[in-house]
Amino acid sequence: MAERFGSRKPKRIQLDLRPDQPIDYKDVELLSKCVGSQGQILSRRRTGLNAQRQRELKQAIKRARHLALLPFVG
Amino acid sequence: MPRIYEGMFLIDNDAVRAGWAQAKGVVTALIEKHGGKVLAARRWGERVLAYPVRRRRRASFLLAYYEIPGTEIPALTRELEIQDSVLRYLFTKVELVPATELELAAAEEAPDFAVPEPPADDSQAEDTTVTAESESDDDEEDLEPAMAGAEDEEGRD
Repeated sequence: MAERFGSRKPKRIQLDLRPDQPIDYKDVELLSKCVGSQGQILSRRRTGLNAQRQRELKQAIKRARHLALLPFVG
Repeated sequence: MPRIYEGMFLIDNDAVRAGWAQAKGVVTALIEKHGGKVLAARRWGERVLAYPVRRRRRASFLLAYYEIPGTEIPALTRELEIQDSVLRYLFTKVELVPATELELAAAEEAPDFAVPEPPADDSQAEDTTVTAESESDDDEEDLEPAMAGAEDEEGRD
């Protein structure tokens, strides 16, 4: 079955993020690209970030949610 | 030992309409009361909130950088919770104040700086009318999908 359907690679999102650029909770435009249609944080497979940067992203999204810059749901 | 914090405060637009300087002064005075020193404070913007906070759909954001002893933070948060004009706040530790923030904060101190009037669609009265209307209109309609869902579940069993 796996051979028939092949490996399904999720489509990665394009982030304009420099390697030295910190992920900030105030950058709502960037963060909104990293959440799904219902407001869920996208996985590393989708964002293409390394573990450290994904943690930064997670923290930034959670901070933005607290300040009502991003929705928790929806 | 004092260290530098970045604080983002959601300010009620009703307080902003009364005067931005006063609204900002409430926060900066509290920081100074607790032994802090405000290094930069500016209006970050006014926007629609992702979800209502204390029944407000819009709010103004105040971004401040200040130096304060860490031991004073709990007391400061207690006082901020009491403030009606501060809807939310977030403190984060930073190493330095960005140079651009110092410039922008200095620009806000200029005498010709004017804060635009916030739009008027964030009042409590509007919220209550919207919810009242939606409840009265959708009462009967809501029942039907619920019933349909119940039937589906029975059918599966």
